Amino acid sequence: MSPRRQAGRLLSRIAAALLAATAALAALSAWSEGEAHTHAPSLHITEVEWQVLNAPGFSAAPPTQDSASLPTAWQPVDLPHAPPVSLLRQAAAAAPGTTRTAWFRLSTQGLAAAHGPLVLYGARVRTDGTVAVYADGQLVHTAQQQGPLWNSSRTPLWVPLDQTTDGKPPREILLRLEHTRASQVALSSLWLGPADALSWRHSWRHWLQLELPAMFSAAFLAVGIFAFFVWFRRRHRTAYLLFFVLAATSFLRGLHFYIGFPIANDWFAWLTVNSLFWLVLTVHFSLLLLHRRRQPWLAGTLIAATVLMGLLTLPVVATLPNTPKVTPLIYVMAALMGLVVALAGGINAWRGRSGEAMLVSAGVAMCTAFGVGDWLLQNNFISPEGWYLGAWTNAITFSIFGTLLYRRYVGAIVEVERVNAGLAERLLAREAELELSHQRLRAVERRQMLSDERQRMMQDMHDGLGSTLISAIRSVEHGGMSDAKVSQILKDCMDDLKLAIDSMEPVEADLLLLLATLRFRLEPRLEDTGVALLWEVRELPTLPWLDPSSALHILRILQESVANILRHTRATEIRVGTAVEGDGVQVTITDNGQGFDVESALAQASGKGLHNQQRRAQMLGGRVAWESGPAGTRFTLWLPLESPHRTP
Amino acid sequence: MTEQPTSPGEAAPRIHVAIVEDDLGFRSALERALRAAPDMRLAGTAGTRAEGIALLQGPPVDVLLVDLGLPDGSGIEVIRAAARQWPSCSIMVSTNFGDETHVMRSIEAGAAGYLLKDSSQARIVDEIRSLASGGSPISPIIARQVLAHFRQNAAPAGAEPAGDEPQLLSAREKEVLDFITKGFTAVEIAKLMGLSHFTVRTFVRRIYSKLKVTSKAEAIYEARNQGLLAQ
Repeated sequence: MSPRRQAGRLLSRIAAALLAATAALAALSAWSEGEAHTHAPSLHITEVEWQVLNAPGFSAAPPTQDSASLPTAWQPVDLPHAPPVSLLRQAAAAAPGTTRTAWFRLSTQGLAAAHGPLVLYGARVRTDGTVAVYADGQLVHTAQQQGPLWNSSRTPLWVPLDQTTDGKPPREILLRLEHTRASQVALSSLWLGPADALSWRHSWRHWLQLELPAMFSAAFLAVGIFAFFVWFRRRHRTAYLLFFVLAATSFLRGLHFYIGFPIANDWFAWLTVNSLFWLVLTVHFSLLLLHRRRQPWLAGTLIAATVLMGLLTLPVVATLPNTPKVTPLIYVMAALMGLVVALAGGINAWRGRSGEAMLVSAGVAMCTAFGVGDWLLQNNFISPEGWYLGAWTNAITFSIFGTLLYRRYVGAIVEVERVNAGLAERLLAREAELELSHQRLRAVERRQMLSDERQRMMQDMHDGLGSTLISAIRSVEHGGMSDAKVSQILKDCMDDLKLAIDSMEPVEADLLLLLATLRFRLEPRLEDTGVALLWEVRELPTLPWLDPSSALHILRILQESVANILRHTRATEIRVGTAVEGDGVQVTITDNGQGFDVESALAQASGKGLHNQQRRAQMLGGRVAWESGPAGTRFTLWLPLESPHRTP
Repeated sequence: MTEQPTSPGEAAPRIHVAIVEDDLGFRSALERALRAAPDMRLAGTAGTRAEGIALLQGPPVDVLLVDLGLPDGSGIEVIRAAARQWPSCSIMVSTNFGDETHVMRSIEAGAAGYLLKDSSQARIVDEIRSLASGGSPISPIIARQVLAHFRQNAAPAGAEPAGDEPQLLSAREKEVLDFITKGFTAVEIAKLMGLSHFTVRTFVRRIYSKLKVTSKAEAIYEARNQGLLAQ
């Protein structure tokens, strides 16, 4: 349950952060509007006089306006002032017609004399008509000349007042707010004072209500586009697409908060209203993805409502005229939808034990509350001094989904690291395994080699040394052998043994070295017999296949030849020569003895030595041959340069 | 103490021979052989390594025969000690087979030759005489090993100890070794190179002493590398 606990911890942390942020915002607003501020002698105007006049239609504000020329039906009123709006009546009286003009008269009495330019500041002036400000009868400020801008109700009033010619502040200020008959105006309390004493109020308002939310909105869109490109390469990751859609709809929804130039486009209004529904819908799908509990009915209903709303408000159809007078009713619908999504999400998050879904649900609830707050403010149900928090929904959405994205990202890194560590571990294990099997293989090879070597030595001992010794023992036991003969046999055995040992010395594929060794071993014996040895060897190419086993075969073949000459002929001279012959090498041993009949010798049982030579040569892929005549015998051993098939 | 090489028959200073050998059979064979040679005298015998080392405290002999397989240790140590204490003495290792591992190790320790134990009396006397007069025997396989050894050390790695520079084989020495690996005898090589056959055997002695020096240099170099010796 560790991931769930983790999610819970994260959720509580984020909730705490959001709470802190909201509290800070509230505190800031309270502080900025509070009386406690004693920066400079500014006048806080909360009591004014007003009257409403009927008019045939909107008209441009005249350059001068004497308050004395207005009717005298002034009534005192407290600021902030927000007369109640009858929403249904306002919507019903959608038809354009006569308008009204609301006049506010402010007295500047009590304003301390100050140096520097004076300004008039108000947190909010709201009307759906024009705005004009007069100072001592002179027009000093106009706004919304073509009707309200999209961001008008969020833009604080800031009117620099020129000093009068006598250098004194104006005595009286008039506000002229035109509006349609069925709608109402709203005016926050006003401040009059030096610019440098009031500018911070205006700046904070402006920054917190317009600029900062706009920055969040843009950042959200940027991250959304990033997510979109991620999704583009990884289509099965729908969460990234959802994130992009969220960012895009949030941006579209947020646009109207910041746009400060006139857009008289019905489609823009349509987009502004409907993007809110899309946003809610997208959040719902994100929730589904998070808590993984299907809600087909709810999803279907939400889709249907969104589509229906989109169709009803289509500018070309205009079943519901999408005007500022009607939209407040539409927004009630959106708030309900937000509430349903938040509730359903919360319940399912609880059941599905998904901390992330719970977080999103809480966010939806919070954003819905913000929206409702905005709606109340917009429709004069609460004081126009308050803050529009709806713009901050972007920040909340971005923060929450950004957090989820961040968690995914960190999780992916951790996963990759874990996988890599696992991979390294497995690699190490495989290496160890490989090493082990390699060792086993080497052990097997070593055993095989030892076994081969033993077999070879056994064979050699059996054929040579063993049988010679046995016959010597037998002869000695039967007393039929002279001491000299026994000594000779034992010397033969010693020679056999030495050659066997020599065969194990490294000869490095050098046949000449092998021949040299043979000569070195046999020389003392030859010296005793008085037979001359003529060494007529030539350089030979190396024999790559020359290993101890084949070396012993070669030594035995040649040893047998020399022994035969000494034993059976009366030769006085032996010539040993080497040559390259075809694709092999040839060793010749020629004697000047009386020769012998090769065929009959091979046929006889006593020709065992010759047969042994033949057999050994065949094992090496070579051959032996004898040419014998009365003038002597020429023995040749031919060996291939390369051994295609080698039988041990 | 120096003794000039002498030829047999001459009534001159004898060749003093000592033997470190636990094989009584070979010892008596040697004694018989020496008794038959008028120019030689057995000056001392030892049956163990310890006795062999003790023998070295006495007056030097001309030829010392050492067996490697002594009951209380390796004859290599005796060879090494003799090479140090009796620098003028020619040391000979006695071996059954004259195999490469035994002989090469002995030469590197300071031996100048080897004697096959199954040699005839005449041959034993010949070999001792040849050794005493500055010659050395060699087999084709030993020759190949020596060549390989010097080929490996042709380009010495790292800094060699000053003054103990590895000595390389001369072209003629290499030529001699090359002929031996091809099976030619000293007499034949002498003929082929236009030398006396005795000169060929002294070439071999010189090669052996170079082998000993390079082996020593290598040992020191290795020891330094491993930090066993102070720079």
